[in-house]
Amino acid sequence: MATTSKQYKAIGEDLWKSRTDKINSELFSLTYGALVVQLIQDYEDYAEVNKQLEKMGYNIGTRLIEDFLARSSLGRCSDFREVGEVAAKVGFKSFLNITPTVTHSGAPPPSARPTSTVQQSGVPGSSFILTLDENPLAEFVELPDEALEGGLWFSNVLCGVLRGALEMVQMQVQAEFLSDVLRGDESTEIRVTLLKYLEEEVPVGDD
Amino acid sequence: MQAAPVSALGTLADPPARMVDGAAMDYLLIEAVNALRVSSAVASARAKKIERDMVEAGLVPPPPTTAKQQNPRDSTSSTSGKISGPADEDEGVRSRLEAIGMHIGGNFVERLCRDRPLFSDSLDVIKFVCKDLWVSCWDKQVDNLRTNHRGVYVLQDNAFKPITRISSWEGRQEALKRAKLYVALPAGIIRGALSRIGFQGTVVPEITTLPQCTFQIKLPKNT
Repeated sequence: MATTSKQYKAIGEDLWKSRTDKINSELFSLTYGALVVQLIQDYEDYAEVNKQLEKMGYNIGTRLIEDFLARSSLGRCSDFREVGEVAAKVGFKSFLNITPTVTHSGAPPPSARPTSTVQQSGVPGSSFILTLDENPLAEFVELPDEALEGGLWFSNVLCGVLRGALEMVQMQVQAEFLSDVLRGDESTEIRVTLLKYLEEEVPVGDD
Repeated sequence: MQAAPVSALGTLADPPARMVDGAAMDYLLIEAVNALRVSSAVASARAKKIERDMVEAGLVPPPPTTAKQQNPRDSTSSTSGKISGPADEDEGVRSRLEAIGMHIGGNFVERLCRDRPLFSDSLDVIKFVCKDLWVSCWDKQVDNLRTNHRGVYVLQDNAFKPITRISSWEGRQEALKRAKLYVALPAGIIRGALSRIGFQGTVVPEITTLPQCTFQIKLPKNT
């Protein structure tokens, strides 16, 4: 039975309300901001910082998905479109208390940035774009010119979280920022593209 | 219940705090420690390389093994000596966590103190830390406050939230060791808060048994 968008929204709201352990989002924003600053100081290379944030996000995502599945008891998504809906309306809502809007795209999307997505042949390449109206990570944040020129994606950890979480449910995706209000763009957008479905594998030597 | 227009204005002036899930913060902190361990190693490797290059170029005499010239760009690090091996690594992470904590504490306390009158004395400030800051960050008040009335305060929390859920499959000792590292962030928060209020003190956390934690705050004599 297909769950409608509204139903997912309601599920997300319920999950959020049922959470007992909530913290002030300012604390969260300040923590993340200070962390990014520290990484910039340590690496002195914005591309590397982007990579490290994504990696951090990946590790977080692999744990987060377990938490999410345990709380939400949602079943397997029937298609990638549903993945986008669930991620936006239930996932983001229950952890960050925000509901990004989702725009789906079945066909390989036109490349909006110089670094284009690598499409594997035979894979649909369907994707969805999450548009974040508000971003708790980026509260109080202003990027200096250096960071803008260096190509820093401040909230890149979110891309990693999406990639890590979805990999744990057998989907290999690529998540990347298309635009960010911190960079002066109109909106903050993340595009998640399905690369392929992963086979459930038993790790070598595990039996 | 207040009349609708009044409460609407009240909400506009003082909006309810936005919240995020506590678990998200926990996961972020766990991975932040790992990320900082790596980045701290990268930064110190770079500092060592610069030092080696300078020594080779003859600009700097080779340093004795115990004292080390601090890389001026490592402005957030508070270490002044060199300890070899994993302790050095841990010190790098610990000082970074404290620096992050100071940033959080300083900025957060500005928001907390917005509607508050000026602090009357240092005891007043400490009480604010024990009550308002603790509640905003860790959902409870400090359990015990002791002072020698000469600028040293000991705050005791019997179930300190950041460390209540720390456990290690390697056993209690390992868990304790990790807790001691993690607690650098809250210590930084307290220190940053005090600093922003105007009191440059030191905050030393101490854990003997989980989840109890004490913080020893030393404020300068003239306050």
